[in-house]
Amino acid sequence: MGAVYRREMQSYFFTPAAYVFLGVFLTLGGIFFGVGNLAARSGNLLMLLAQLSYLWVLLTPVLTMRLIAGERRSGTDRMLYASPCTLTGMVLGKYLAACTVILLTVALTGVYPLLVAVYGKLYFGETAAAYLGLLLQGCAFAAMDLLLSCFARSQMTAALVGVGVNLVMWLADVLADASAGLVRSALNFLSLYRRFAPFVRGQLSLSSLLYYVLFIFIMLFLSVRVLDARRWSEAQS
Amino acid sequence: MIAFQAVSKRYGAHRALREVSFSVPRGQAVGLLGQNGAGKSTAMNILCGCLAPSAGSVTVGGYDVTMAPRQAKRLIGYLPEQAPMYDEMTVREYLKFACRLRQVEKRGMDAHLKEVMEKTGLADVAGRKIGNLSKGYRQRVGVAQALCGTPDALILDEPTSGLDPRQSSEMRALIRALAGEHTILFSSHILSEVQQICDRVIILHQGRVVCDRDLRESAGEKKPLRALIACGEQALLPALRSLKSVKAAETERGSEPGLTQVVLTPAAEGEPERELFALLSRNGWPLLRLTPVEDSLEEIFLRVTEREQD
Repeated sequence: MGAVYRREMQSYFFTPAAYVFLGVFLTLGGIFFGVGNLAARSGNLLMLLAQLSYLWVLLTPVLTMRLIAGERRSGTDRMLYASPCTLTGMVLGKYLAACTVILLTVALTGVYPLLVAVYGKLYFGETAAAYLGLLLQGCAFAAMDLLLSCFARSQMTAALVGVGVNLVMWLADVLADASAGLVRSALNFLSLYRRFAPFVRGQLSLSSLLYYVLFIFIMLFLSVRVLDARRWSEAQS
Repeated sequence: MIAFQAVSKRYGAHRALREVSFSVPRGQAVGLLGQNGAGKSTAMNILCGCLAPSAGSVTVGGYDVTMAPRQAKRLIGYLPEQAPMYDEMTVREYLKFACRLRQVEKRGMDAHLKEVMEKTGLADVAGRKIGNLSKGYRQRVGVAQALCGTPDALILDEPTSGLDPRQSSEMRALIRALAGEHTILFSSHILSEVQQICDRVIILHQGRVVCDRDLRESAGEKKPLRALIACGEQALLPALRSLKSVKAAETERGSEPGLTQVVLTPAAEGEPERELFALLSRNGWPLLRLTPVEDSLEEIFLRVTEREQD
């Protein structure tokens, strides 16, 4: 697992992937902060963090698309499968590398609360809760996109399908409101943004926390199962 | 060291391997030969744990690759048909990753890396990006990667495919050099290559083992001789058959008038070349050509695959 993690981290920073991710996120984050907080003279960061969380929809596939699909394309997956590293170790190593980039990105936005704390009043507890939510939301999307990357044959498909499914997860709220009955409750249950809501209100919700942890666990578990199943079914490419 | 027991692999209705059984003792270099689609890569992928067999079992060093994959995989280094390369990494970084993946102790890693790079002739390009290397060097990096962690067995899937003649001869020399220290299973569809490198050849055809023979044994055997002699058949054949060291003499088609082409099967005892020379010079029959008949893999291969098709 350690070997896979280190290689993924190297790869993120040797290729444009991590820089694209960081660059886009921080640029848009800066604009949001500038408009919503600096120009509006507001010290309330909850709104900003809620806006930032929407960026995951577009950006997590940038991190996850090559994790599995890219290796499958280049044939490097065989090297991993033939090594003593287990599938679980491999998936975890890759996932944790993506999470590290997410964590780094979120940590860099720490400059906003710092500015607020220096020049205004920072509501520390609420902001911390919202930050935790932002992080969990990103990691949850990354886990789901990692699973999608297991199915895809090329990075491009992985990325596009990732964005698509992310959008559905994002819009599940809206769709739920427009539907009724079983569909409505199912969509409500699925919606990642419904779980996020307490965090951006500055609340630490235990049930949401559990939901995220479980969601990530299930996605990673399914990824391992998909990769394992492929050993039985895949024809020689 | 490596044992296949009645291994089958199906992809839906297509049967890629049908009850393949063979075993490779420690230290032997075995060539897996077959046309494209014969099942070579499938067999190797199963051996390395990249694919699961539909039936049967594969063991490496006594460990079943499905039941005890970690122990089994520790014993093998694998170079897939498409060499697994991360183009953005340098050779050294890449091999370091391979070492970590194969759980090489941190303490001896640098020395081990150096050794692997020297063996494979990569020391000069250690700092270069893999994406910028020539195909020949990339393939060496692939072999180096398989050597990381000093596995007992090397599984090389068509290591010379796509190389130019010089590169592939270098690659063969490299594999021959490694054959002393490792058990080698190596696949190819080039027959002479297998003859040069391997102790033994296993031919796969349509997912079945159709031939399994020891090349060293047959190397010691007396080879039949093909002779072109300027003499009529009627006079020649009885004289040849009377030689003590010749078991059988058969004419071959395609002889020009006045010339006879014969194949002589040597008897267990005696030296047919000397006797033949004495006989011909006594009678004043000019010998135009004398060559040993190589029972080449080409011939074996064509024979078994034709038999299959019949």
